[in-house]
Amino acid sequence: MSAVEIRNIQKRYGDVETLKGIDIVLESGEFLVLLGSSGCGKSTLLNIIAGLAEPSGGDILIGEHSVLGAHPKDRDIAMVFQSYALYPNMSVARNIGFGLEMRKVPAAEREKAVRDTAKLLQIENLLDRKPSQLSGGQRQRVAIGRALVRNPQVFLFDEPLSNLDAKLRMEMRTELKRLHQMLKTTVVYVTHDQIEAMTLATRIAVMRDGRIEQLGTPEEIYDRPATLYVAGFVGSPPMNILDAELTGRGLRIAGTEEVFPLPESLISAGAAGRRVKVGVRPEALRLATPDATGIRLTALVEVMELTGPELVTTARIGEQRITACLPPRTSLAPGSTQVFSFDEAALHLFDPDDGRSLLAK
Amino acid sequence: MSANWISTRAWLLMLPLLVVMVSVIGWPLVDTVRLSFTDAKLVGTAGSFVGIDNYAKMLTGSNFQRALVTTTWFAVVSVTAEMVLGVFAALLLNQQFRGRAALRALMILPWALPTVVNATLWRLIYNPEYGALNAALTQLGLIDSYRSWLGEPGSALTALIIADCWKNFPLVALIALAALQAVPRDITAAALVDGAGPFNRFRFVVMPYLAGPLLVALVLRTIEAFKVFDIIWVMTRGGPANSTRTLSILVYQEAFSFQRAGSGASLALIVTLLVTVLAVAYAALLRRAAGAS
Repeated sequence: MSAVEIRNIQKRYGDVETLKGIDIVLESGEFLVLLGSSGCGKSTLLNIIAGLAEPSGGDILIGEHSVLGAHPKDRDIAMVFQSYALYPNMSVARNIGFGLEMRKVPAAEREKAVRDTAKLLQIENLLDRKPSQLSGGQRQRVAIGRALVRNPQVFLFDEPLSNLDAKLRMEMRTELKRLHQMLKTTVVYVTHDQIEAMTLATRIAVMRDGRIEQLGTPEEIYDRPATLYVAGFVGSPPMNILDAELTGRGLRIAGTEEVFPLPESLISAGAAGRRVKVGVRPEALRLATPDATGIRLTALVEVMELTGPELVTTARIGEQRITACLPPRTSLAPGSTQVFSFDEAALHLFDPDDGRSLLAK
Repeated sequence: MSANWISTRAWLLMLPLLVVMVSVIGWPLVDTVRLSFTDAKLVGTAGSFVGIDNYAKMLTGSNFQRALVTTTWFAVVSVTAEMVLGVFAALLLNQQFRGRAALRALMILPWALPTVVNATLWRLIYNPEYGALNAALTQLGLIDSYRSWLGEPGSALTALIIADCWKNFPLVALIALAALQAVPRDITAAALVDGAGPFNRFRFVVMPYLAGPLLVALVLRTIEAFKVFDIIWVMTRGGPANSTRTLSILVYQEAFSFQRAGSGASLALIVTLLVTVLAVAYAALLRRAAGAS
């Protein structure tokens, strides 16, 4: 059964088109992440699902019924906000139970639900406190508790972790994943953080300029990005994008002479003689051994940055730069010329004009 | 530089202001206290010491007691109405609609007008021969003939209260509007999702943000209303039949109309004491509210 169906949703503010026709069908229990940079329309879409904003066109179905024009409280949703949005004058217990209180749930039942939720989130000892007496992480737990306690069909998260410091963000991310695995709830989660998207999502919708650039599982998004934008957005450091040319025999990177033979299937993906963009992830690159197979790139090493688990190396091929994530103990010197190699399987080809992948099936 | 010199210099820098304050506030106050224990007239006799006679006479006299009731009634009704109207206006002006900015600016106008202008304006509206209120009510068929709103003891005080409200509710509205804009959008959205209706959203979500600023407005307005003089003086001079004679009007009449400087001074000090008690009580209230939030 589909939990949420987003049908051709559009949103205009005057002349500005924020959403240009979004279609997503969300199955029950899915964790959908709307990923994109600020201004891509992801928060607007979430607000439209919540009923906090009205679409200019299209339809939203929750539990197979259209909720267009329905009040947020009648949509069977709960929402967690970036700013936590706790009621400052109420205790933690009352904050969590407020939705139930407004729905006239009897006090005893309400109290039990609040207690159970608090236990699940390990905030039982905080129930009598006011939000101002809590740390950021604790506030976020309370905000999540307020959503959980109502047991709605769909949870909406609007950048819930972006106000937390890096360490706490990781902890809460794991916590959210644990909760989702345990409760099997349907979630729509907005973020601009690609790590959050990759780790939490069962499916990711990468959004750009009011459109969905690609909708797929984290593996699909990472392994087979549909466009240059997705390729550059997901992954850290981002995918290397190089200008290249397809010849009758294979691939020639701009600024180099060597032509690498490519399987027929790859060459036929683009027409021979045309310019393409080549994509290769930094983690797919390695220092070539003499007997290395695959595609080789000769580059001048410029900068090396040791992050701990890896050595992020920036090198130059002619006018173009590449980044490679190498093992931390690799001995390299800036200014030296090195040969990097990668497997054909790690190769991405994009149309330089519209940015679409030439490998997409 | 020694600490001693710093402190000396501070006093030196404050000296001009201290001199001004002592001469325009301190000395008149001391002299008023002295006067209040004499039977001095405004012109002629310097008066002789009469002890607490003035105070006793004033406090037990019916004029004072009646003025106290009138003042309290005026203050309670007008401030309550201003608070309710002000909050209501702020809630409306906080909605999205065309012409909101213009309306916000317009709303401040009554408050920006000098009190005398406002009072004159309302005297014209209440005019028994050509007033707009009479015309409107007659044309609507609510009254048969023109009435003298300010000339009848039954309606004069109410008419004054309306005029005072019209002038002062914008201040409350302005303060409330500023407070409303401080309510985070996310919290309102969270309350919507939580299923709180308009009344519950106001009570549980908006009110906590409004309470502090409104308390300040309440303090300011109550103290001002208790001291009210100008609007009444321009519109009714305390009449008819003393029905709008508040404490400040009474003080003025005693000291200047009847030229009894001694008893006028004692009355003025009693009013000062009452307002001070109010101010101190409110200050305590504010401190408690600040501590609670």
